[in-house]
Amino acid sequence: MIGIVVVSHSTALAEAAVALALQMTGDASPRIAVAAGAGTDANGDDVVGTDAARVAAAIDEVASAEGVLVFMDLGSAVLSAEMALEFAETPHEVRLSAAPFVEGLVAAVVLAAAGATLDDIDREASGAMSAKAAQLGVAAPPPEPPAAGPAAPRQQAADAACAVAEAVIVNDVGLHARPASMIAARMGSFDAEVTVSDAEDPRRSASAASMLALMGLALAQGTRLRFSGTGADAAAAVEALRAMTEEGYGELG
Amino acid sequence: MTVQIDQLVDWLRRFRALVVQNQALLTELDSAIGDADHGSNMARGMNAVVEKLHGESSETVDALFKGVGMTLVSSVGGASGPLYGTFFLRFGTSTGAVTALDAGGLSAALRAGLGGVVTRGKAEAGDKTMLDAMIPAVDALDSALAAGRDLAAASAEAAAAAAAGRDATEPLVARKGRASYLGDRSAGHVDPGATSTALLFEALAAALAGPAAAAESDSAAEPGPASAPDPTP
Repeated sequence: MIGIVVVSHSTALAEAAVALALQMTGDASPRIAVAAGAGTDANGDDVVGTDAARVAAAIDEVASAEGVLVFMDLGSAVLSAEMALEFAETPHEVRLSAAPFVEGLVAAVVLAAAGATLDDIDREASGAMSAKAAQLGVAAPPPEPPAAGPAAPRQQAADAACAVAEAVIVNDVGLHARPASMIAARMGSFDAEVTVSDAEDPRRSASAASMLALMGLALAQGTRLRFSGTGADAAAAVEALRAMTEEGYGELG
Repeated sequence: MTVQIDQLVDWLRRFRALVVQNQALLTELDSAIGDADHGSNMARGMNAVVEKLHGESSETVDALFKGVGMTLVSSVGGASGPLYGTFFLRFGTSTGAVTALDAGGLSAALRAGLGGVVTRGKAEAGDKTMLDAMIPAVDALDSALAAGRDLAAASAEAAAAAAAGRDATEPLVARKGRASYLGDRSAGHVDPGATSTALLFEALAAALAGPAAAAESDSAAEPGPASAPDPTP
């Protein structure tokens, strides 16, 4: 599981952001270290700012072979994090995320808990901005899902590189953060592009690889999902998603 | 002529004194185009440096400046922490474990510090940053040394070039840092980072000016705790 470092001018901001992200995960949480503030001034008051040495220590604290992803709020946090890369002693990969602070952190904590790789988590977190924009309708909506054949649990298209499956969401609270993260993490093991859509309203669709985009669809219990895949592993991927959905993403019973 | 480690310590004390004396000015400049914390941040950082100098003495130039750099990194809080921190860390790394610098060594160390700031800030001349004072200062020092001037004269020319570079930031439109959010409205204000860098070279020139100036340093370097009003809400 990757390690996560949270760099902020404010300890309160960092800790609240971490607490929010951890609400989305179960028992398995990634290692998270906060590097916030720049000590205290002559009056003993906290200095709002960032400290590259603290960031480096936080990186070393959570580093492992899976790598470390660093989230920063703004301004000097970025400079301090860049400088911390020179101070950190870990031999493992450390990456600075360009993602928006809160959205990126939430996505990363959830995906890390689901065992996703540094590459996948970095990419997903960085896409957090477009997921929110799409939800607000201020950016181009995601592309229409490929035209699906008649509803069938599993159907191979003629060229064998397309696959479609459907399943109904059985979880009480719908496709929330944890199932979204499971789907996105699972997609990492397939050579396939899968679109998840509402079978009754195909305009509501998102890439299965994007936890935040899936969450943005706010798909409720009882929604029939359509998984439309392309690529070498398309059939296996849509079948896996169908099975996960019917099994309630491990949340039943 | 060589620069002894005591003179380098004197440079740091003088820089701290100038920063504290000009804290209100730095903050006022930063309130126009930044977040009004450059004066308090730099004063806090340099006060921490001088406090560390009181507590422990460094045997070598590299140890001295690495300590200074790390102290700034951990006490300034704002972007000037990593920027000045990198300047002094690279300065120290450049010199090696020596107890004095000759003219070439000082020039190389300043050049290394400048390179560190360029790398860290990803800025260039004309972006309305501290580099607009630092680049002309280091260039002027090198030119003066190449023309056969001694370190006292060369550092005085560096200080004059830094001040001119600072003044020349006034009409510029900021392209880096918080001030860049203002776009064209950043023009018409002197850059606070270039102003503190001009103080850095003013302090260097004073420290290298010779024994007469060094005699003043104790009184100049020990003002009371920073007391300028901080308009930060």
